[in-house]
Amino acid sequence: MATDLSGVLRPVAKANGLPNEHYVDDGIFMEERDAVLYQSWSGIGVTADVPEPGDARPIEFLGMPLLLIRDKDGDVRVFQNTCRHRGMVLVTEPKKIEGAIRCPYHSWCYSTKGKLVATPHVGGPGMNTHEDMPKSDLGLIEVPSHIWMGVIFINASGTAAPFEEVHAGLLDRWKEFDVPLYHGGEDSTFTLDVQTNWKLAVENYCESYHLPWVHPGLNSYSRLEDHYNIEEYGHYSGQGTLVYRQLEGQMGERFPDFPNLSDKWDTGGEYVTVYPNVLLGVQRDHAFAIILEPKAVDRTIEHIHLFYAEPKVDEALRAKNATQWKTVFQEDVFVVEGMQKGRYGRGFDGGRFSPAMDGPTHCFHDWVARQILGHRQKVAAE
Amino acid sequence: MNGLNEKLLAAHDREDTHALIGLYEAAADQSNDFIERSFFLTHAFVYALEKGDVQADQLHGRLREMGRI
Repeated sequence: MATDLSGVLRPVAKANGLPNEHYVDDGIFMEERDAVLYQSWSGIGVTADVPEPGDARPIEFLGMPLLLIRDKDGDVRVFQNTCRHRGMVLVTEPKKIEGAIRCPYHSWCYSTKGKLVATPHVGGPGMNTHEDMPKSDLGLIEVPSHIWMGVIFINASGTAAPFEEVHAGLLDRWKEFDVPLYHGGEDSTFTLDVQTNWKLAVENYCESYHLPWVHPGLNSYSRLEDHYNIEEYGHYSGQGTLVYRQLEGQMGERFPDFPNLSDKWDTGGEYVTVYPNVLLGVQRDHAFAIILEPKAVDRTIEHIHLFYAEPKVDEALRAKNATQWKTVFQEDVFVVEGMQKGRYGRGFDGGRFSPAMDGPTHCFHDWVARQILGHRQKVAAE
Repeated sequence: MNGLNEKLLAAHDREDTHALIGLYEAAADQSNDFIERSFFLTHAFVYALEKGDVQADQLHGRLREMGRI
């Protein structure tokens, strides 16, 4: 089924949102997997998932088995978690690779850099080479990856332009945050399993319109008029605040600032979606990433990670910060789940956007629609 | 060999890879059959490789001398 996306591409004041099928139809979910999530640079984890050389963590991204690994030289890599011999999944649980990754089936072994290093008995019992099985051709399939803001992005299709090129505008906008970010550790990560399509989490995150209604606790110091839209059509969108207020502990202690920030960030904070599925927030003293893991057309797992300017920040304050953000993100759950339910209403036409307030959301819809239309053209030409 | 075989099975049962390295090399050393010896050395080498054990280089060298790698 090819949906009609022409209404999405109109200017925000006249546009409709993506049709219902983009939220409820399994076939369209698969189309978006290929056209949007695989073709782009999607977030799949954080470098803190594999903190030490040899650490390996298997994950699935939309059904594709992947292996995150920090190689012996400390570089984070992403491989397809599939042996080049008979297609066995190599690693099934997080583990430390002490020497080589050994396939549990016929014991082909790979280095942490993906090189095939042993093919036992491949030429018969006790004969470990064969002229037709060159090891240099049979290393693990590496998936293009890029690290930014502590997040591991991959391009599953291998066809995207380099990350720095695709996201040049955002990298420049946030160049002041191109400094080491330190993951807060186990108490600074949590997940939310939400019965919603992944895009609704993006849409809700992008706009400030809902803040006074859904997060009334923010009203006392963070009024709607203190926010601004961020909308770079074709690239990214989100919102900013002019009144970010630092968290304080009982004795007035605060988190250390990121170094050398300009005055803008004294009370500024920005919250942007790195299309398609990574929601980032930056403030003077901490940052966060929400990686959306689409599990089904109507289910998404949100992986939240908090980062600081120094490796060891105050534990109690860190816990307080995690609790505060968890409260905010949990307040959003009924909204994204409610919008999901609403999209089973057959008369719903994708909805309209407030020209003043919903630009960032439309910016996202416009980008998604163009990704899909481009993909449909490619498929039609094949 | 029977005693060694039991030790090998026990090491497999408890997934004691470090023990398997030495036991498979011992099995190789007890064998007078070229193919059987290279078979056991291969297992010792693979487990050493997996564990990043220092024996890996030495075992690789033995297999290379036998023309088996």
